[in-house]
Formats: sequence, C-alpha cells, structure tokens
Amino acid sequence: MSVSTLILLSYLLLAIFAFFFVLKSVKMARMPVHLRWELSPVPHEKGKGHYGGSYLETAEWWTKPREKDHVAEGLYMFKEILFLKALFEHKRSLWWFSFPFHFGMYLLIGAAALLALGGIGTVTGFVTPDLWLLSRGLPLLAGAGYALGILGAVGLFFTRLLEKGMANSTTNATYFNVLLLGTLFGTGLWAVFSVPDFTGQVLGFVGALFTADLSIQLAGILKAHFLLSFIFLAYLPFTQMMHFVAKYFTYHEVRWDDNPLEPGGKMEKELIELLGQSPTWSGPHVRADGKKTWVDIATDTGKQEAEK
Amino acid sequence: MSEKVRVKDIGREDLPMLSEVRPEELIPLPPPYDKLEDLPGFKQVSDEKKERVVCNLDGVIAAAMPHPESPEEEQKYVEMFVEGLKKLLSKENNWTFLQPLTLSLEYCIGCQTCADACHVFEATGGKEIYRPTYRSEVWRRLVNKYVKPGGKLLAPLKGADIDLNWTTITRLYELTYRCNLCRRCAQVCPVGVDNGLIAHELRKLFSQELGWAPTELHEKGTVLQLDVGSSTGMNSVVVKDNIEFIDEDITDETGIETVTPFDKEDADVLLIHNAGEMLAWPENPGAFAIILNAAGIDWTLSSEEVGYDGVNYGLFYDDVQLARVAVKHSQTAQKLNAKRIVMGECGHQHKALVTIADRVLVGDLAVRRESFLPLLEEIVFSGKIEFDPSKNDFPVTLHDPCNIVRNLGIVEPQRRILRYLCPQFREMTPHGVDNYCCGGGSGFAIMSGNNYEDWRNNVSGRVKFKQIIQAFQDQPGPEVKKYLCAPCSNCKGTIRDMLKYYGALERSGITYGGLVELIVNAMVDVKEPFIKWEMY
Repeated sequence: MSVSTLILLSYLLLAIFAFFFVLKSVKMARMPVHLRWELSPVPHEKGKGHYGGSYLETAEWWTKPREKDHVAEGLYMFKEILFLKALFEHKRSLWWFSFPFHFGMYLLIGAAALLALGGIGTVTGFVTPDLWLLSRGLPLLAGAGYALGILGAVGLFFTRLLEKGMANSTTNATYFNVLLLGTLFGTGLWAVFSVPDFTGQVLGFVGALFTADLSIQLAGILKAHFLLSFIFLAYLPFTQMMHFVAKYFTYHEVRWDDNPLEPGGKMEKELIELLGQSPTWSGPHVRADGKKTWVDIATDTGKQEAEK
Repeated sequence: MSEKVRVKDIGREDLPMLSEVRPEELIPLPPPYDKLEDLPGFKQVSDEKKERVVCNLDGVIAAAMPHPESPEEEQKYVEMFVEGLKKLLSKENNWTFLQPLTLSLEYCIGCQTCADACHVFEATGGKEIYRPTYRSEVWRRLVNKYVKPGGKLLAPLKGADIDLNWTTITRLYELTYRCNLCRRCAQVCPVGVDNGLIAHELRKLFSQELGWAPTELHEKGTVLQLDVGSSTGMNSVVVKDNIEFIDEDITDETGIETVTPFDKEDADVLLIHNAGEMLAWPENPGAFAIILNAAGIDWTLSSEEVGYDGVNYGLFYDDVQLARVAVKHSQTAQKLNAKRIVMGECGHQHKALVTIADRVLVGDLAVRRESFLPLLEEIVFSGKIEFDPSKNDFPVTLHDPCNIVRNLGIVEPQRRILRYLCPQFREMTPHGVDNYCCGGGSGFAIMSGNNYEDWRNNVSGRVKFKQIIQAFQDQPGPEVKKYLCAPCSNCKGTIRDMLKYYGALERSGITYGGLVELIVNAMVDVKEPFIKWEMY
C-alpha cells in the first residue's frame, strides 16, 4: 500500500471514529432521566462514603445542607480507571491480565499524545526528532505499552477460552476484538524493534497527516500498524469496547445518582414531560390505550379485579 | 439432562429441564446442619403437576404458568414477547429505566466478577443457569437477534444463535424469579452493569406486556392492595380492629398504656407499616407504639385504603403497579396533611417509596419520606427514654436488608443503637453494604407454592443461613439463646421459614425479630421481658 493511500484511508477511518464516537457518547448522555437506582457505596457522601452510608441516615435529611465530597469521588475514579480497583478486589485472577491490557493502552494513549504533539512540533519547527523525549521516550513508552498490551491480550484470550463461565458469555465478536487488539499491539512492538528510525518515521507520518504530505517514507510494518490502528478506531464505537465511556454513565448517572427531586427544579420539569408520554404496554392491568399518559395510568384507581 | 448448559440451550425443546437442583451439590452448611439426611429434604414436582403447569427450567416452580392450549397461543405469546423486548428499549414505554438498562445491554464485558458475588450461584456450587450473566446473556442475544436491525444476519458474530419459542420464553420467565434483585452483583461489576436490573426489567416485560406475574405478587399482591387496601386482604375496619387488639395486648403485657393514634391530621409523622406485621408479628407495631409514645412523637397511622400498608410489590415486577401504590401512599399523607411519611420495618417499602418513587411523585405528590432508622436513633440517644442494656445481654447479630442498606445507604443508625443497647452484639461476615440477601428478596419471601419454598430455604437463603450460624459460632448450642435482628418484614418472613426449616431454635437456640423489639426489651419501664424466646 502506498503512503498516499494510507493517508487517505487514515482520514476516512479517523472521521468515522470521530463521528460515531461522539454520536454514541452523546446518545448515552442524552437518555432520559430514570428512576433512582443508586447503589452503595456512593463515594461522594461526605463522611459516610467509606462505609457506604448516605444522607438518608439523617433524620429529616431535607432540612440539612447536603455536602458532597468531590475529592473522595475523584480519588475513587482515579483508582478505578488507572488500577481497575473493582477487578483487583473482586476478581484478582482476571486482573493480572486485564490490568496490563488496560495500562498498556493508557501508555499508548500517552505515546499517541506525545506523537501528536511531536508531529505538530516537527512540522512547525519547534522541535526536532532527536529531542530525547521523542527519540528515546517515544519508543520506550510505546514499547512498554505494546508489551503490556500483548501480555494482557494473550492472557485475556485464553482466560476467556478456558474459564467455563467466561467462555459461555464470550461471543465470537469478543474473541475477535481481543485478537484485533493483540495483533495491533504485536505489529507495534515489531515496529519498535525492527524500524531503525522508529521515531523519525512515525513523526513523519503524523506530520504528514497534518500537512497531507504524501512524499514521506514509511516502513511496511509501520504502514500495517497504522492501518490496523485506524481500522480499530473506526470499529471501536460499534463495540462493547466503548465501555470506558459507558462506565462514566453507569457510575455517575446510575450508581451514584442519589439526587433527590427538588420541587420546581429542572429534573421535575423533565419528569413531568416524561410522565406525559403515552405507553403502549399490552398487559390488561396496565389499561393503556395509546392515549392515556403515565400520569393517567398511575392515578387510575379503578378496581383492578374487574379488568382480569 | 444437560449439565454443561450453553446460553442457546434455553430454547432447546428436546430437554425436559435445562438443569436441576440437587441437594447434594449445594455448598455444605456448618454443623449441625451438615448432614443431608438430617435435613427436611427438597420436594419434587409431581408428574401430575407438570402436566398442568410449565416446569421446564430446574424442576422448581415459581410462576405456575399453565400450558398453552394451542400452537397458535404459543405463537401469540412469542410475538408479544418480541414486542415487549422492543418496548423495554423505547423511551415512551420505559423511560423509567432506559438509561441503566441500555448501558447494561450494550457494555457487559463478560468478566464474571458478578458470579462470585451472587449468593444463589454460590449456594449451588456454581450452577450455570444461576450465573447472573446467564439470564442477561439470553436477553442480550435475543435483543441482538430479534430487535436490532440486521440482527439475524449478524447473529453468528454476536453469538445470537438462540431460538425464540415457547420454551425459551417460559424458561426465561421462571429464571427471572431465581434472582433476588439484591444487586450485590452490580456492586462489584467493574463496568457498572446491573444483572439484577436486567432480571427486574424482564419481569416487567412479562407483566406489562404479556400479563404474566406470580399470583403472590400480582393478584394477591398489588391488585388486592389497590382493590381492598392491603395485600394481606385487610380492609381499614379490620386494620383498626387489629391495631386495637395489639394495643390491648401490649398494654397487658408491658403495663404501659398503649394507644395507637389513627387518622390524626397535621401529625409530624405518618408511620406506614408493612401490614403483614400486624398479622405475623403484632409485637412489632406494638413496640413502635410504645417507643413513639414514650418519646412524645406526634404521630399517626392512617386507615385510608392502601395508606395503612407500606407494601409495594410493584417494585419487584411492574412499574405501573409500583406507581399506583406509591401515588396512594403519597395521597394518604396529603389527605392527613402529615409533615413526613416514615417507613416501618420493611425494606422494599423503603426502596419503593423513599428512592424509586422520588421521580414519580412530582408536584403536589412530593411528600417528604424517610426511614424509621434515623428517627429511632434520635429517640434512643435523646435521653427521653431510660434504657438498661443489661436486659439485652444475650448474643445479637444483625441482618442488613438489601433494600435499606445496599440500596439506600442506611448503614450506621441501626448499628449505633445495637452497639448501645446490646452488649453482645456481633456482626456477620460480610455485613453492611456488602451483606448477603436473606434469600427472600424481590418477592420470594411471600412466594411459597409448589416446591418454591424448599428452593428458597435450600438455595437462595443458604448463604445467609450459613452466615447466621457462623455469627454465633462461639456459642453454638441451644442452651444459649440468640437473637437475629432483621429489621425488615420480608427478611423476617424468609428467616422465620428458614430457621423453622432447619430447626435452628431447637438446635442452635436462634430466634429472630425486629429492631424495635430489642429497643423495648431494653426499656427500664418495661418490667417483663418483651422478647419471647420462641419461634414467632
């Protein structure tokens, strides 16, 4: 594949990624407010979060000011995101592979950020590829990320295959995802070790993405690696691997959403709108006719026995 | 019989059962309950019964679905099921849980962390069909195949190799009643996926679309409550009579003149009991009356239909019924102009009315609501009542009702009371928000037809029973009387059945009761012991 084809394909794949990533994320964020479904522990409960307590432990809680501990919540998220705390505590056997898998990706995200900055820097002339952070730091960071990723991917693949419970709920698509990522990490590590001017070539490619310079040189393995990376990104929004975005909502908008209804507030307005919709459930006791709203149905005090 | 059960096996019509519960495969209990031959056994469903109702999952019947009369009827329900799947994922029909449900549908990574946290899965030594993700994965694959665009085309890739037929939907229906909805699994999920919610939503689908729900929850539960006033069948006249009898008994027993106020307007507290307490554990509403009167609380009960029964089984299976009951509770408080509703010792009542209904009771219906526990804590430590903790000098442990503790985060008030009033209080392991369900959560406590009660005592309640025995392992014999404090009606019902089933009073000296009974037992003004060492 020529560099020009690769660059054009990269634009296309990145555009697909950006569009669908934003679309999916916005879709998650824009779901209607739901009934309260919080689950202890809620770490922002000041002075109580550590044992799972909530403001509901206080008599006439509505007469007291609510205090939220955002530091405790942030710390909880930090440990969860960076170290996969829940998995460490509740499923250690999987953590040994899942942690390097995810931490490897974090290192690669760091390497990608460095690469993007370096690419812009070299194009604009602010830095040169022989800057230590780029010439040595980049291969080190990326190499460590790829190595950890491979370890994780191999471990996760075989754990899923061999552990009875996991095998039953693992679909072909999930095996494919792990293999895809494993291959991506593998090509990356191969490139780090086999391409003498690794930093120069990858910086050149990133620079070319910004300048649309089609004349750059790129080793075959790097072409394969970049192509695979962008294919992965374009594919990502359509998979369960978007769980890293979903996790924000499952934690902040479900588990930890213990906001009480404030009369006259924004949430109440939204709820009144939702309660004005007309459900179409067919169960005889629901007595929905496509016109009655949730309010009509919830306040329908007609004798139920007669409806059976 | 298939022991290596795959997700797609749920639709296999050639298997009479998908799996089977065998007592010898369950995790062992501590002595003296470790010998299978000494235990009451596990009733089998008769062939005659199987001919009348569907029994195709695990040899246990919760729902007692009659067989369809014709293939056309089967097909009708299968089509309704698909419609229900779509409605579960639509805003107008299921805005109530759309966001958490969609997130749980799309982003489970199948790590199985949930399985290790599930007491039902653990009790059976890891039976595949009780794995929290088994049910969820069936649903997920059905949605992928029958609801999503191009689902049938992408089925091989997404594992949606699952047949949808009468067998699938009836097995799935039964399977939704093998989860206590305790949400211990959701608590440990690294992604925040909630398999308990999925079971809950599937129950809703069956009820709200197909009209299927266990009789105990629907006809004898919410329907009876909305029609007569209480799922116990008591109308307001009977309730007032019963409370009057309870007051008289309590007065005779304690020497304290006990009067329960009814329908007092402008009261500070409208107390709503689970009406089952009045019939099964009358000492509980009696103890509440003693405490609230002694503390000088301005309180009342209501004789308004539904307003005297805090039960809301809609929480377990049907949003519509949940909302109707919650609205009635709120209207009761409005009518009396009560300042606040205080929940009695009933866990699911707490969850239904304090949090879930918070986003249903808008506008004028938004009456203030809270648990009895902070109020009791205030009273106990207020100095208004004199206590003698030595009257409670026997081993006491605490069961944490999931709906009060894990779901509402009310953890410490009850512990502060017990640490103060019960010198020999000890915790179970684990406890607090990490507790195990009693095994009766989500309606199982009141479901006992066929061999379901045996399943509850042997399977869903097994880990809790083990915990109870272990909490008292320093004094295991029956000569030392022990008290299991379970401040929740449904938990008490389950624990009563479980202790009776295993003969725990006779063999280990364990009885059970609520929190208010312990408080009254420690009151200096109550001369005779309030706690009776018997199985209630």
